[in-house]
Amino acid sequence: MKKKLFAEHRRFWLGLGSVLFVLAAWEVLLTYVFPLNPFFFTKPSLIAVAFKEQVIYGALWGDLAVSSKAFLWGFSFAILLGIPLGALMGWRRKAGYTLDPFFTALYASPLVALAPLIIVVFGVGLFAKSVLVFALSVFPFIFNTFAGVRSTDRLLINVVRSFGGGETDLYLKVILPSTLPYIVAGARIALGRGLVGIIVGEFYAASEGIGYAISRFGDTYRLPEMFAAIFLLMIAAVGLTEGMRKLENVLAPWKTTQESR
Amino acid sequence: MKRLANFYTEREQSILGGGFILLLIVLWELMPHLVPLSKGFSLFFTTPWKVIEAGYQLIVENKIQEHFYVSSIEFLAGLGLAIIVGLPLGLITGRSRDLDATVDPFVTIFNATPRLIFLPLFILWFGIGIWSKIMIVFIGAVFPLLINTYEGVKNVDRVLVNVVRSFGANEWQIMKIVVLPNSVPYIVAGLRLAIGRAILGVVVGEFFGASKGLGFLIATAATNYKVDVVFAGVAIFMGLSLILTMAVKKIESNLSRWRPEGAKTF
Repeated sequence: MKKKLFAEHRRFWLGLGSVLFVLAAWEVLLTYVFPLNPFFFTKPSLIAVAFKEQVIYGALWGDLAVSSKAFLWGFSFAILLGIPLGALMGWRRKAGYTLDPFFTALYASPLVALAPLIIVVFGVGLFAKSVLVFALSVFPFIFNTFAGVRSTDRLLINVVRSFGGGETDLYLKVILPSTLPYIVAGARIALGRGLVGIIVGEFYAASEGIGYAISRFGDTYRLPEMFAAIFLLMIAAVGLTEGMRKLENVLAPWKTTQESR
Repeated sequence: MKRLANFYTEREQSILGGGFILLLIVLWELMPHLVPLSKGFSLFFTTPWKVIEAGYQLIVENKIQEHFYVSSIEFLAGLGLAIIVGLPLGLITGRSRDLDATVDPFVTIFNATPRLIFLPLFILWFGIGIWSKIMIVFIGAVFPLLINTYEGVKNVDRVLVNVVRSFGANEWQIMKIVVLPNSVPYIVAGLRLAIGRAILGVVVGEFFGASKGLGFLIATAATNYKVDVVFAGVAIFMGLSLILTMAVKKIESNLSRWRPEGAKTF
């Protein structure tokens, strides 16, 4: 009976086991085998204490809130601008021809290199970080909406037209539903890029935020606190990404993900 | 006149696309002549021509070669390490279900988080020399490679594997004859993503705690309000990543003509 339980959820147990094993090995190695140099390394038990202090009682929530605010501003503007632009490019052939090479060049280039300039121009704070997040996360929205609109079934469009549907009907009843899965897939890519924007912005120049917390703990050799902050960010990032993936499956259960994660 | 119209319709796509970029550059160049710029704003303003001049100056005065060299070493070493680690790991986890289950939680977690958060830690561990940058490039580039290789192995035709196995091939031969050739398009796609991550790692790694490299050049120029130098540096990064991405894309489309066209991913 017990054996069957294991076999059915073999994947889950193996994964859980390996995570626990790594944590235990880390703890044991640094407790009994190697002497722990606290300026250089740390171990899970110390991180757990720091996590409890920083996350449950401490200031890390404030840092996370500051980062989230900048992220939300940048990400919202990326959605508000990226989706209409992508739709325009997909729907009007000439607009697509005109804008595609320009945006492709920007998308393929490391825009993060502009971070120092953006921070020098817009100052340290919410606005510069939001600009950075926007600049990095707008392109997945543009290109995925573009691809989604272009791949809309022509037959469906013709049917709506034949039955006398206007431009609004086309948009709301055909194009939007068939593009939505693409947009959500784009949102997942944009999420990762937006997080990069936040982290870089806060590493570079900030006085608060999760990225700043990580670099400050690093500078002051407070490794347990630093790992606690890293773990908090990891949890947030995994939660958001997996949530997005779930949403993708709900909106487009037929689409097996073939593009890279 | 009709000839001209034909000429246009045949090349509409490239004329519109190229024309738009050209128009933007010309407008940017003419902007100071068209609208009066306030003194505060002109501090942060530069024109394409000045950027070209600044770039030319950097090359002539031999100021950029050293930075370029350091950045290339970091890029190549980090990407090389990522290939050495990511490819075999992707192949193995693709073939063995148990190993996949063991590694999967770590891959999922690390892939979802921006690996740049490890930069302060790596600076602490490896110092401010090139090793902390190589490691940040490595950790950024290894996951796309690993995941794409894995997907490639998973998508191998079971029938082919079974045929080869029926003829007495061992696991190593299956890998060599069926699995590896079948995964090549996926691996190349992973390489394209990895290049993007690697360049990101080089740029950001050199922003902090560095004394050499193109990212360092950009960061110091920005703090000294040398906007033309910033754009020259950014233009170099843009050019390099465009060339590399296009090259890999070319290989990719040659290798995977049979695959349906998906959404763009960089």
